[in-house]
Amino acid sequence: MKTGNEGGREWWLGVADVLTHGIAQGAGKLERVHLSIADETFNVLHRIPVTRPWSQAVRFTHHNISKLSYRSVAAVADGAGQLLTPPDRRR
Amino acid sequence: MKSDSSPVWQRHASAILSGFLGDWLEARKNPLAVPMELFHGQSPLDHRAPQLDVPGSTLCLSIHGLMELESVWTFPGQSDLSYGSLLTSASREITPLTLRYNTGRPIYRNGEALAALLEELVSAWPVPLERIVLMGHSMGGLLIRSACHYGQAQNHRWMERLTDCVYLGSPHDGSWLAKGAKATADLLNRAPRDYLRVAGEVIDLRSEGIRNLSRGDVVPADQGEPPLVPGVRHFVVCGLLARSRTHPVNALFGDALVHEASARGEERTGWKLAGMASFPGVDHIRLAHHPDVARQLVEWLL
Repeated sequence: MKTGNEGGREWWLGVADVLTHGIAQGAGKLERVHLSIADETFNVLHRIPVTRPWSQAVRFTHHNISKLSYRSVAAVADGAGQLLTPPDRRR
Repeated sequence: MKSDSSPVWQRHASAILSGFLGDWLEARKNPLAVPMELFHGQSPLDHRAPQLDVPGSTLCLSIHGLMELESVWTFPGQSDLSYGSLLTSASREITPLTLRYNTGRPIYRNGEALAALLEELVSAWPVPLERIVLMGHSMGGLLIRSACHYGQAQNHRWMERLTDCVYLGSPHDGSWLAKGAKATADLLNRAPRDYLRVAGEVIDLRSEGIRNLSRGDVVPADQGEPPLVPGVRHFVVCGLLARSRTHPVNALFGDALVHEASARGEERTGWKLAGMASFPGVDHIRLAHHPDVARQLVEWLL
């Protein structure tokens, strides 16, 4: 049977696993929400003749910066999760 | 066995997370996944070698519901008072036990595990066991039906001693909240916009245990619908939010999570109940520790 300290440490490692996985997965979902909502605005801008020439370029830049940001967060969370997961539980 | 020394809030957090994500936690071998365990009072009980001061010839096992712990059975402000302990005070032959389990696992998997655990417990019980009473709150009632199905299929000896099953606010025909979550997720998953589909995916993260509550599934879908075990008395207890039976809130929400018709299994065929009682003004959680319900249980079971 585990001692109280071991049990407590295990519990917090479990929390860390849930949090890191949640942040990594959540960043992916947030990226999709962010980009799809932004697309609604960019689609409107694309229909207006005055803004049309710039809308595609701004959309491209916006989407790529956003993707980079969200995926960096996901990668860091994933890495932290791997580091905190005991070797026998790593996937 | 040693008593659980982790702080109460950690146990509750594990129970809630296990309810939401229990199957996923188990697959990842995450220590937050609550293991199936028996308790006698506050102390864990080894089902392979149960050590009790005064083991009785009647076993009364109380099984909690989704995201709950065995503490749901204790009366507020009276940590040593529960339905089990009240039955024991009326008859010394009754030994009250409680079960703790991962409520996010599919109900049929918990049912199989409970059937196997009871079989081992009965084999190792220190005195001849004459009677088993199973009492389930909410999902716990569905777990009883599942365990009975597997116990019967595998000719378990504990089934011969099973005399009574009590279902307190169990969603035999599903819970409106679980049905609503499923309907919302299905709708959002078909939406044309990605941000709406993401919302549907987030709802779909819910555990198999929660999914089972949308239809009251106690076995895998391909195994049909098991009947109530014959030769056993089955009792149903329902709660209702409002004190007046005819109040529209009761028709809309039942006991807050389960409608009265679902708790009675009205959509199930061939059910013969030995007793049925409704308690207007008693909500879903209080069904597990209410003096009026206790009086009814004493009347039925003693």
